[in-house]
Amino acid sequence: MKIEELKDLGFEMVSDGDGEIDHGYACDLLSEVMGKAKPDTVWLTVQSHINIIAVAAITGIRAIILCNDHKFDEETIQRAKKEKIALFKTALNTFEACGKIYQKGIR
Amino acid sequence: MESVDDLIRKIQPYFSELSVGDLMSSPVVTVREDQRINEAKELLRTRRISGLPVIDDGGRLKGIISIEDIIHALENNMLNSNVSEIMTKNVVCLTKDEKIMDAFKKFEMYGYGRFPVVDENKNVIGIVTKYDLMIALLAKLSVLYVHDARREQFVGVEIYRSIPKNVKIVREEFEFQIDYKDISMAGTGASELKKFLISKNFPPKFVKRVAIATYEAETNVVIHSNSTGRIKAYIEPEFVEVRVNDNGKGIENIDLAMKEGFSTAPDYVREYGFGAGMGLANMKRCADRMVILSSKGNGVFVEMHFWRHEDEN
Repeated sequence: MKIEELKDLGFEMVSDGDGEIDHGYACDLLSEVMGKAKPDTVWLTVQSHINIIAVAAITGIRAIILCNDHKFDEETIQRAKKEKIALFKTALNTFEACGKIYQKGIR
Repeated sequence: MESVDDLIRKIQPYFSELSVGDLMSSPVVTVREDQRINEAKELLRTRRISGLPVIDDGGRLKGIISIEDIIHALENNMLNSNVSEIMTKNVVCLTKDEKIMDAFKKFEMYGYGRFPVVDENKNVIGIVTKYDLMIALLAKLSVLYVHDARREQFVGVEIYRSIPKNVKIVREEFEFQIDYKDISMAGTGASELKKFLISKNFPPKFVKRVAIATYEAETNVVIHSNSTGRIKAYIEPEFVEVRVNDNGKGIENIDLAMKEGFSTAPDYVREYGFGAGMGLANMKRCADRMVILSSKGNGVFVEMHFWRHEDEN
């Protein structure tokens, strides 16, 4: 799946990124994400602080979707641009957002 | 598997300031030279010990008697003789101000199982066995945690066997100072290390393993140590060593800390998604070999070894 296609699912793009998405993961505990998420993943979370970018960069996460209408910190956006990790936001909760992506065949 | 002796030798430098007085057992069970061997035998049996310093009326050391001596006496039907008849007379002693290294050397040089500790008047004030050394080291460390997940098939690979034991790799390739208090900076060093390893053409899967483990160690420094720290990495074509150390408050109970889900992280960092209690578990999972040295108040030293696995190339 192309990162662009997340827009078609109704997620609001905050910042663009590089690469394709093959997998999905949802969790708010950073260590869990680092331990379990596969590379080329879209990560759904309610964490918005700058550290999620380090977690994404290390894990190989390509896109982050911030759920429940949370807002990204400005420095998070800046760092994401630098690391070329795509940021999206949505008013949906994590479960609902996962469902949309799951329907597109992402596992 | 390394022998206990190898392990003790390796960790000796951490304890160089310990002296014999700190680790000796005291008071000591002794036997008088005019007591019968049979009485010495009973003392050894009831106290479950393997040797006794022999003293005179004034408490001064005259010799030492061991289980071997008792067996010898049994064979020769001498149980009713005086201890002084079978004891070893030229006893190698320690003094309480000798350093732990000196004690190690004597154990190595003489091969005896125990050394009495005497003061300037030859009065017996303590005794040191290998067991005492072990207990002192463990107490000082609080705990030493060693994990080694090298796989059988991998251990057979030539490149692994060619890494000489105990030889320091002199060339330092990567260094990063963790000198921030800001939790949001956590992971900066690990990200830098990841880029560095990619630039050295290590395969992405391998690099991810190294980066995750380093991230967790770095985050621990920021969340828990309340001090500065340092990440160092040494690389070889098939191997990466990462050392992360801090100068903070240390880990009180490493066994507990190793448990998945156990965390001492404060609430404010938990709100950020840290403190899941998975950090050390993640490190252990990622690293092929991990050593953690820590004691309360003395910071944490983590050393992790990563070998390239066949499926990572």
